[in-house]
Amino acid sequence: MRTKLNGILTLLLAFVVQISFAQEKTISGTVTDQDGLPLPGVNIVVEGTTTGTQTDFDGNYQIQASPGQVLLFTYIGQKNERRTVGAGDVINVQMVEDAQALEEVVVTAQGIKREKKALGYAVSSVGAEALEQRAEGDVARVLAGKASGVQITSAGGMSGSGTAVTVRGLSSFSGSNQALFIVDGVPFSNDTNATGDFIGGNVGSSRFLDLDPNNIASVEVLKGLAAATLYGTRGKNGVILITTKAGSGEGGAKKTEITINQSFFTNEIASTPNYQNDYGNGFDQSFGWFFSNWGPSFQRDGVAGWGNQPAIDDQGTLEHPYSTTAVASTRAAFPELQGARYPWKPYDSFSQFFRPGFVSNTNVNIAGGTDDGNTNFNVNLGYLDDQGFTPGNSLSRFNLSVGGRSQLSNKFTVQATANFARTDYRTPPIASSRGNGTDGLSVFGNVFFTPRSVDLMGLPFENPIDGSSVYYRNGNDIINPRWTAKNVTYKQLTHRVNWTAQLTYQLNDNLSLNWRSGLDFYNERNENGSNKGGVEFTSAIFGFYDTYDNNNTIWDHFFSINGNYDISEKLGMTFTAGATSRQDYYDRSGVSSSGQIVFGVKRHFNFENQRPIQFSQKRNIVGILGQATLDYDDFLFLNVSARTDWVSNLTTENNSKTYPGVSVSFLPINAFDGTWNDAIQMNYLKLRASYGTSATFPTGYPVVNVIEQNTQRFVDPASGALLTTNQVDNFRANPNLKPELLEEYEAGIEGRFWDSRIQFEATYFNRVTNDLIVTEPLSPSTGFSFTQSNVGEIQNKGFEADLGIDIFRGENFTWNSRVNFFTNDETVTEQEQDFIAFAGSLAVGGGLFRGSNAAIEGESLGTIVGTAVGRDEAGNLLVNDGGDYVIVEQDLDGNVPIIGDAVPDYTMNFINSLRYKNWNLGFQINHIKGGDILSSTVATLLGRGLIVETADRLNTFVLPGVSQSTGEPNNKQINNSTYFFNNILFGPTELRIYDASVIRLQELSLGYSFPKKFLDKTPFGALTITAQGFNLWYDAYNTPDGANFDPNVAGVGINNGRGFDFINGPSSRRYGFSIKASF
Amino acid sequence: MKSFLKYITIVLIAGGLTQSCETTDLELRTSPNALASDQADPNLLLTSIQLAYATNQQTFSDVSQELTRIDYMFGRNYFNNYPGSTLNGVWSRTYSSGGNGVGDGVSVGILTNLQTLEAIDEANPDIDYSFHIGVAKALYAHSLMQLVDFIGEAAYTQAGNPGEFPAPTLDGGESVYDAAFALLGEAANLMGSGPDDLGAPDLFYAGDTGKWEKLIGTLQMKYHMMKGNTAQFNAIASNPANYISSEDDNLFLQYGTSELQPDSRHPDYAQDYTPSGANIYQSNWIMETMLEKNDPRIRYYFYRQVDATPGADSDPNEETLACSLAQPPQHFVDGGFTYCSVPNGYWGRTHGNNEGTPPDNFTRTAVGVYPAGGRFDDNSFGTVGLGLGGGGAGIEPILMSSYVDFWIGYMGDDAAKAQALEDGLTKSIATVQTFGDLDVNADTSFEPDAGRIAAYIQSVVDDFNAGDAETKNNIYAEQYFITLYGGGTEAWNYYRLTGYPNTVPPNWEAQPGPFPLTLLYPQNEVVTNPNLTQKTSLDSPVFWNQGGCPTCY
Repeated sequence: MRTKLNGILTLLLAFVVQISFAQEKTISGTVTDQDGLPLPGVNIVVEGTTTGTQTDFDGNYQIQASPGQVLLFTYIGQKNERRTVGAGDVINVQMVEDAQALEEVVVTAQGIKREKKALGYAVSSVGAEALEQRAEGDVARVLAGKASGVQITSAGGMSGSGTAVTVRGLSSFSGSNQALFIVDGVPFSNDTNATGDFIGGNVGSSRFLDLDPNNIASVEVLKGLAAATLYGTRGKNGVILITTKAGSGEGGAKKTEITINQSFFTNEIASTPNYQNDYGNGFDQSFGWFFSNWGPSFQRDGVAGWGNQPAIDDQGTLEHPYSTTAVASTRAAFPELQGARYPWKPYDSFSQFFRPGFVSNTNVNIAGGTDDGNTNFNVNLGYLDDQGFTPGNSLSRFNLSVGGRSQLSNKFTVQATANFARTDYRTPPIASSRGNGTDGLSVFGNVFFTPRSVDLMGLPFENPIDGSSVYYRNGNDIINPRWTAKNVTYKQLTHRVNWTAQLTYQLNDNLSLNWRSGLDFYNERNENGSNKGGVEFTSAIFGFYDTYDNNNTIWDHFFSINGNYDISEKLGMTFTAGATSRQDYYDRSGVSSSGQIVFGVKRHFNFENQRPIQFSQKRNIVGILGQATLDYDDFLFLNVSARTDWVSNLTTENNSKTYPGVSVSFLPINAFDGTWNDAIQMNYLKLRASYGTSATFPTGYPVVNVIEQNTQRFVDPASGALLTTNQVDNFRANPNLKPELLEEYEAGIEGRFWDSRIQFEATYFNRVTNDLIVTEPLSPSTGFSFTQSNVGEIQNKGFEADLGIDIFRGENFTWNSRVNFFTNDETVTEQEQDFIAFAGSLAVGGGLFRGSNAAIEGESLGTIVGTAVGRDEAGNLLVNDGGDYVIVEQDLDGNVPIIGDAVPDYTMNFINSLRYKNWNLGFQINHIKGGDILSSTVATLLGRGLIVETADRLNTFVLPGVSQSTGEPNNKQINNSTYFFNNILFGPTELRIYDASVIRLQELSLGYSFPKKFLDKTPFGALTITAQGFNLWYDAYNTPDGANFDPNVAGVGINNGRGFDFINGPSSRRYGFSIKASF
Repeated sequence: MKSFLKYITIVLIAGGLTQSCETTDLELRTSPNALASDQADPNLLLTSIQLAYATNQQTFSDVSQELTRIDYMFGRNYFNNYPGSTLNGVWSRTYSSGGNGVGDGVSVGILTNLQTLEAIDEANPDIDYSFHIGVAKALYAHSLMQLVDFIGEAAYTQAGNPGEFPAPTLDGGESVYDAAFALLGEAANLMGSGPDDLGAPDLFYAGDTGKWEKLIGTLQMKYHMMKGNTAQFNAIASNPANYISSEDDNLFLQYGTSELQPDSRHPDYAQDYTPSGANIYQSNWIMETMLEKNDPRIRYYFYRQVDATPGADSDPNEETLACSLAQPPQHFVDGGFTYCSVPNGYWGRTHGNNEGTPPDNFTRTAVGVYPAGGRFDDNSFGTVGLGLGGGGAGIEPILMSSYVDFWIGYMGDDAAKAQALEDGLTKSIATVQTFGDLDVNADTSFEPDAGRIAAYIQSVVDDFNAGDAETKNNIYAEQYFITLYGGGTEAWNYYRLTGYPNTVPPNWEAQPGPFPLTLLYPQNEVVTNPNLTQKTSLDSPVFWNQGGCPTCY
C-alpha cells in the first residue's frame, strides 16, 4: 500500500511542477471579513482553470495566475468577490457578508435539490466532519444526538449489535417505525434480521452497519411527512438521506486528492457495577452455593461473620465446590480438587470476565476529476476491525465504493455509484435475564450476578474429559458463562452490494428527463451453534447448529420529468412528475441441526437431526407522484405534492392510496423592503408551515387464510413414524384490510441574526395515524387468535428546536455552541380492545410479570404494563401476612396495571466546538429526561445482594403500606433477603421500574491541525491528529449509583418495544486517537 | 474514465429497465410459506386435534393435581397462583390454536380443524371421513366439559364463527355440558358404523373404533356423573362393554424416548432427568400417605436420590432444605400436619411452600417409572440423568379403567365403593406394575409380589369397611387420588364435590385466600372480548357444585 501511495504522490508532484512552468506569477494576499478579521478557508480559483487554493488560518493565500485572469473568492455566507490579476503581486480582499446568505442547498426527497429557504418543512443536515473518524462503525450510533428528533437506541454496547433509529417518535405499534435509509438516492435496507425473541435470545446486527461512516459526504434528515411524501409509504417514519462521497459527484474542476483516515480506539465495558465486598454467597447470612449473595460476611467476627459457619474452617476456607458437587462426572474430572480448600473471600469476577477491546479503522478516499470539470470520480476504501469487550464478540468490515458523474454532452449526464461491503459480526448468545439464571442461552446474566465469593475466572469451566460445562453449583444447574462464551457462537457474515445509476437528459432549457435504477442486495450468512455439554438448555445440552442465508433484494426504479419555468418576472415554477416501482424480496433458507455427535465439530454432518429453515416474502409497490413549487419574488414559496401507491399484497379494491402534501415557506426579510431587520440584526428569517400525508401498507400476506404444516412434531406410538401436523392458522385473513393514512401538520420558524452568530430553528408537529394497521388479537373462541385490521388512531405531537451560537468568532479563537431539543407525546386516541400488548413479554407469549408495552386508549404509546402492588380503595399499598407486597395482575377497575411510560419528557443535546489557532476541542453532552425503564440489571444487583446499596443488611425492613388482612398500617418486619429478593427482584413488576433519565458525555475530542507552513515540505496537503472519547461518562441519576446502569439499551430487541432492560446490553466506552492526512 | 462511466451506467440502466416489469406485479397475495386453505390433509388435521387434546390434558391434570396435593403447588396465595393466564393455552387450543406441550412446540387446536374436516367431508361426498370427525367431536366434547369444570362456563353456540360473532358470549356451564353430550351422541353415531381411519394416525386407539365407542360411553358417564343422573349413569355402567372397563381400553398418550426432533419424552421426565438433576418437587402429602400405608405403587411413582430427608431422619440442613430448621407455624402444629420433611428420603415439598430453590437437584425425589418413564426405586439411591430408567417412554394417563371404577363407586353406596376400591386398585396396580420393565437396569426384587398387593388391597378394603363415614370418605378419596397420580384431571372435581380427603395438609400460608371453586376466565379471551369481564375472585362454583365446598382448603 505504502509503495503504491508513494508512486501516486510522486506522479502528482511531477504533475504540479509541470503546470507551474507556464508564464505565471505568484499572487499573494490576505482575505479578511467585513470587520477586517482574517478569514481562513476562503476558496480562491482562477476562473476558467483548475487552479485553486484556500486561505490559511491567518487568511493568507498564494496562487499562480497570469495577468488578465480573474480570481474568484468564495466563502459561505459572504458575497463572491472577483479580482482581475494586474501588474501587482498582492491582492488583498475584504469580503462582504451576504445578507441573503445561507442559500443553503439541501437534497430533498427523490434526490431533488432545493434551496433550504424554499422548503416548508424541517430538514436537518449533518456534515461529514461530524461522522468521520468515529470509534463506532455504526452510522446510526454516530448520528446519535446530531439532529433533533432523531432517536438512536442501541441494543447494547456489543460491537456490531443492532440499533434502532426513529424520527419524531412512534406513529404505529404493529408496523415498523424504523426510519428509511436512502443511500445515493436509492433505498438501503436497514433490517435487523434477528430470529427468535428476546426471551429465548436474539442477536443480529442492523444492516446500516454495512455503511462506512467515513464514506459519507452528508446526511439530511427529512423528519416530517410533507418532506417525505415523495418517498411514499417507506418515507413515513422519516428519511435518513445519505450521500456517500462516491455519490456526491460534486461538479467543478479539482485536482486528485487522497485522504487517509486512521483511528485507534480502546473499547471497554462502561457499565461496571460497583459491587460490595463485605458479604458473600449464601442466604440469610448463612453460607450456601446459591445464586444469591446474602451469605456471611468476609469478616470472621460479628453476627454475620464467617466464624459462625460450620462449612468454613478456621483458616477461612471452604471445601472446594468441585469436591462437594453432587455431579459424579465433575468429581471424576478433577481428582486434584477432591478435598481441596477454597478461600472464602471476594473475587473480582466481573471485571476479569470482560476484556479490553479495541477498534482500528482505516479509510482511504481518492477524489478527482477531469480538467474540464465535467467528469468527477471518487473511490473509497474502508476497513474496520472492532473487537468487543465481551469474549467472542467482534466486528470486522471491509468497504469499497466507487462512484462518479459525467456530463457526456450538453444533454446527457450520467451518474453511478457502487458500494460493496463485507461485514463479519460475531457474538456470543444474548437472551433476557430477570435475575434467575438466563431465560435463553446468554452470556451476560450469569456474569452480572456472580456471587462475590465465587471465583468465576479461577474455577475451571470445562470438564477436561468431555468438554462439558462445570460450575460451582452443587447440581451444576447453571451454565458457566465462560463455557457459553467459548462454545456458543453466533456469526453473521454479510456480503452486500448496492448500486445506483442515474441518467439525465436535458430536453431543453426548461425540461429534463431523469431515470434512476438502484439495487440493494445483501446476503447475510448466519452460522449459529453450540457444542454439546452445556446445561439448562436443550440446545446447549445436546448441541445445535443452524446455518441459513438471508437474501434481501430491493429493486428501485424511478422515472421523472422535471421542469423549471419563469411564469413571470416574479413568479417561478419548478415541477417534477414521475413514476416509481419498488420490490422488496426477502428470502431465508438454510438448515437447522440438533444433537451434536462428536464434541467440538460444528458441521451439519456431525449432528443427528436436521430440519429445513425457509421463509420468503416479496412485495411490490408501484407509485406515481408529482410535485410543483411556485416561488414568488424570492419570498414566498408554495410546494404541492401528491403520490398514489399500489401494493401487491392487498385485494384489488383496497390496494391503493393517494396522499397529498402542501407546504409554504415565507421569508419576511425579502418580502418587506427596508431596514427593519437591521435593527434587530436579523439576517435571515423564514416562517414555514406544511400539511403532509403518507400511507402505510402492511407487510406479509394478510388477506389470504393458510394452513400451517409442521413436520417432526411427535412420534406415532403405533408406527414409530414422525408425525406431521396440519393446522388452520390462528391468523385470520382480513380481505378488507386497507392502507393506513398518516396526516401531519407542521409549523416552524428559522432564523439567523446578529451577523448570523445566532441561528435557530423550531418546529411543532402534530401527526395522526388513521385507520391504524394493527396486529389485533382476537378472542380465541372465535377460532382465531390474531388478525390484521384497521382499528385505532394514534396522535403524536411534538416540538423540536435547534439553537446555535457563535460565542466567539475571533481570528485565533472560535467557539460554536449548539443545542438541540426534542419532546413529544404519543397517545393512542382510539382503540377497540382493552389493550393490545405490542412489544415485550406478552407480545411473544411470555407472562405479564416480565412487562410489556401496550396500546391502551387514552394512554401513551410508551405505556409499560406489568404486575403491580395491590392497592386498597384509598390507594394504600397492600402487604400480605408474610410482610411482602401483594402482587396483582389487574387494578381495582379490572384493567391491566399500567406501571410506566417509556417516552422521555425530553431529549437534549449540547454540542460545542472550540478552536484556538490550530487546536480544536469538541464535546457533546446528551441529556434524556424522564421516561421509565423496567431494569432487571438494577433489580438483580439489588435483589441478589451484590452492590454497595445492599451492604447495610443486618437491620430489618418494614414495607410502607397497610396489611391486607387487617387494613392496619403494616408493621411486619422482614429481613434483607425478603425485602430485596422477594419484593424488589421477584415481587411486582412495578417495583422494577426506574426513571431512565440520563446525562451523558457522548463525545469529547481534541484535535490539532498542522499548519500549512509546517506541511509545505511534506507530501501532505493537510494533517490532523485528534484524540477522542465516546460515552466517557454517564449518570442515570435516578437509579441506584452502585448499579452504574446505562439505560441506552433495547432490552426487547430492535422493534417497537421501549423501556426494558433484561441484563442484555452493557454499554461500551471508547477512546483513542485518529490521524487524517490528505495529499 | 468518461467512457467507462458511460458504459457502466448504460449497462446498469438497461438492466434496471428490463427488471422493472417484475417489480410492477401487483398480485402477490398468497404466502409461499404455508399451505393454501384447500390443501389441508385430513389425516394431518386429525393429528393436530389429538395433540391439542393431549396437551390440554397435561394442563388440566397439573392444575387439578396441584390444588388437591397430588402435586406440589408453589405459592402461598391461591388467587395469585392461578392468574388469568393459567388456562390461556387450553382455551386457545380448544377453539383456535395454541402451543403444543406434547412433543415439539407448534401451534395446534381442535375446533377450527374439526370445522375444516367437516368442510372437506362435505366437499368430498365419495370419501367417508366419519372416523376423523367422530374422533374430533369426541375430543372436542370432552374438552368442553373440562372447560366448564375448570372455568364454570365456556363458549359453544357462538364459538368458531368470527364473521357473525366476533365477540362470542359464553354459554352457561350446564348448557355447554348438554351440547357436549349431543356431540358425543353424534360421535357415537359416526363411530357406530365402524368407519375406516383412511390411514390417519390414531395416537390413542390405533384406529379401533370399538375402543373409541367405549371412550364415548365413558365420557357420557362423566356427563351423567357430574349432572347427578344416577339412573342414566348406571345404564351405561351396567355393561362393561359400554365403557373403559379393562386396561386394554385405557385412554392415555404414549410417550417415547426421542430427546430431540421431536422430544417425545414425558414432560416430567424431561424436566427431572437432566444432567443437572431433578427440577420438579413431589408433593409431600402423597408421598407420606403412600409411605405410611405401604402402598405398593410408591416405588413406581417416585425415585428417591437419597435415603434420608433432612429434618425427618437426617440432620436439618439450612442450605438444602431450609424449612427443616424452621418452627412449623401454628396451623400446622394444630392439625398435626407434616410441615417440611417426609422421612426415608421422600424429599419433596408441602403445599404452598414458596421458598427459593436451593442446590437440591440431586437430593430431592424425582418422578419414577410410572407414568413418566423414569427410574424404578430399587433402593439404589443413585441420581437422575439423561436417558436413565425408562428414557421417558411413559404415558399421559387420561381416562384409565381404574378411574372409571372409582366413578362407579362414587355414584353407588358403600358396598359399591368397597367394590370400586378393590376393582380400581387391582387395575391401577396392575397397570402400574407393567411399567417396571421400562427400567431395565432396576433390581426387580424390590417389585411387590402378588401376595403383597393382594394384602394391600385387602387391607384398604377392610379399613374402608371398618371405618366410620369420615374415614370411609377419606380412604376412598385418598386411594382415588393416589390412583389418579399423573392423570388427575378429575381430582379437583371430586374434591370440590365431596370435600374429601380432609387429611391433606393446609397451605403453608395461614391465610391463602378462599379455596378456588373455578379459575379465572382465560386472560387472552378477556382482553379481546368486550362481552366478557374478568372475575374478581375464584369462588363462583360450577353448575354441578352449587353449594360450593365449604370444607375445602
